[in-house]
Amino acid sequence: MAILETKDLKYSYPDGTTAIRGMDIEIMRGKKTAFVGRNGSGKSTLFMLLNGTIKPKDGRILFNGKQLGYDRKSLRDIRKNVGIVFQNSDDQIFAPTVYQDVAFGPTNLGYSKEKVREKVTETLEYFGLTDLKDKPPHHLSGGQKKRVAIAGIVSMQPQVIILDEPLANLDPVGADELLDVLNALNDSGTTLIISTHDVDLAHNWADHLYFMAKGKVIGEGTPDKVFNDPELIREAHLKSPITLDIYHEIERRGLAKPNQHPTSVPELVDTLKPPELMWVEVPTETLEGDVLNLGVLHGEYALQSPYEAVNARVLHMHSDGRAVVEVVRHGIKAGGIAIYDIEQYDPDGFQRIMETEEIAMIGAMGKQSKMLAEEYHIPIQISSGVIDRTLLMALCGKRCLILTSGGMISHSMKRIDEYAQRSGIAINVSIVNHD
Amino acid sequence: MDRQAICITNILDDYALLSPLRYRNNYLKIGIVTFGLLMGVSSTSPITPILIALSMFLATVLFGAIPVRFYLKLLSAPAVFVLLSVVVIAFFFGTGGELFGFDILGYRFSINTGGLNMALLVLARTLSGMTCLFFLALTTPMVELFSVLKTMKLPDSFIEISMMMYRYIFVFLEVAWSIRYAQNVRLGYRDWWTSLRSLAMLCTTLFLRSWEQGEKIFVSMSSRCYDGKLVFFEERRPIRINEMMLTCLYVAAITLVWYSTRDFVFV
Repeated sequence: MAILETKDLKYSYPDGTTAIRGMDIEIMRGKKTAFVGRNGSGKSTLFMLLNGTIKPKDGRILFNGKQLGYDRKSLRDIRKNVGIVFQNSDDQIFAPTVYQDVAFGPTNLGYSKEKVREKVTETLEYFGLTDLKDKPPHHLSGGQKKRVAIAGIVSMQPQVIILDEPLANLDPVGADELLDVLNALNDSGTTLIISTHDVDLAHNWADHLYFMAKGKVIGEGTPDKVFNDPELIREAHLKSPITLDIYHEIERRGLAKPNQHPTSVPELVDTLKPPELMWVEVPTETLEGDVLNLGVLHGEYALQSPYEAVNARVLHMHSDGRAVVEVVRHGIKAGGIAIYDIEQYDPDGFQRIMETEEIAMIGAMGKQSKMLAEEYHIPIQISSGVIDRTLLMALCGKRCLILTSGGMISHSMKRIDEYAQRSGIAINVSIVNHD
Repeated sequence: MDRQAICITNILDDYALLSPLRYRNNYLKIGIVTFGLLMGVSSTSPITPILIALSMFLATVLFGAIPVRFYLKLLSAPAVFVLLSVVVIAFFFGTGGELFGFDILGYRFSINTGGLNMALLVLARTLSGMTCLFFLALTTPMVELFSVLKTMKLPDSFIEISMMMYRYIFVFLEVAWSIRYAQNVRLGYRDWWTSLRSLAMLCTTLFLRSWEQGEKIFVSMSSRCYDGKLVFFEERRPIRINEMMLTCLYVAAITLVWYSTRDFVFV
């Protein structure tokens, strides 16, 4: 169901420049939407229209199916429910301390002092900002400021959060941590909208994309749809994502399965399986298209994991009882991923898990996990792109542990399950310290 | 605290933000400082002010964890002025027996007992006043003072504006530094005239930037449902028993010294 909609939306600035020329968009509840376009394509203006900061010249905006009004009460309502995180954190963080800035929104909503305190404490904890609460903003790094800015919006519990260029000016690890936070928020039901000109981010992260140019939507759809249209990409003044570029090149050379659409490195790796054909002797009653069980292979015959169950699909029957088959291998003991909930951390239990589970690498997801790892001297090998990199390790038959908490747990489980389903490789994933 | 090492601690406020005394009751600190100031200024002998100066110095450096080098550097600027004036006072004021003197071109320059006493008193009072204020400035950052201003019943809009000013001073300081750097690398401060022109451009840009910033903040604040009213959060920091006892002891001791040395003369 659409949570935000616009119908033929138009806007021009007081000086006459037209910023939005007739836009129809539909943002789905609980989804991650990205607006992609070069600078000046009207993304920021659109965002300000969506939460009533500016009033359109023409057209309508619908929130939960109801048209947006511009009286005091309606504006308050829309701004409570649609929060904007501005590109430059300094434009947003105005209070002298982190605590006071995060408390600003809830206070304006008229909550009681106790409720504000409770909300703020909870939000700061969630973003790993508790230690910084008395700091003035000019003592924070760029990434920390960004988290404060988002915390200031999250503390108002909006249904939709709009982020204007959320990863601009962040270092790679900082950007990754922020994405983890955003994914966890989305997992707990918040609809997210971002603007970006980072095509890799848009391709990998978003559920639905809008390509914008000159104040108009020039293309929309799922990532695999819009990024498979070279004409559209050129028109939007963008370029093709790097995973797709690599995939197309290796596919052109016959090294990957055709007609795939990898959005991440594990998915890209998964396409690297040219059909494996061989001659086998088959029972005479076999028909083309049948699947035969060739048993379990191990040692040098097992290519992807220690043991493999090998099935073969008959492509062509030969007259002398032999057939051409396509071999399909399923790793019996692919590696696994163990997820450790740090909210229930106990050092002895952790040590036991490390020994019994034969963990090869530990990844930390989220600020709190990293802080915990530092406190207890847990060696972290993976601190960014945690899910993708543990998946890659699991594909090589290793077991990894992810330290994480809260909404990121269910998000990781979901991502890993999705990958397992799509690739057909069984990856054992479990939360190791839950009963 | 690895952050401590990273952030640029070159202004008083930065030291105050990192000082452990920051988290003690503000009113208690202000009370102690006011008491110290009044006692120091009203004392007729130099002993009380010197005692106060010494205690404030130790409190700032030991309890407030302020580096001694930084503290002395801070003190040295006003101290030079004080020493110069003290020398002048010693030579030209007061009456009494001559202690030391010499002739220059037939004029007699001499220090007498009254002058020396007066000079010492001025020196001691100034030092005690300065150390008291340094104690406050180095242990109580601006962010803590806003709630104090609020309790003093200053108008809300005044406090709100000063809060924002405080916040954006640092933003604009950064902008100003980067502009100056950009001008400097293109020889914008080559000689007096270019310096003047560059400075003028810097000021113009800063003015325009702050105007824009104001509009941006207004947009971002109203998108968080701002309706013209800020609410202040005062961290409750109750005075602990041992703090109260120590303060009482200090007040009693200083008062005693102040009373018993009221007729004391140095020479």
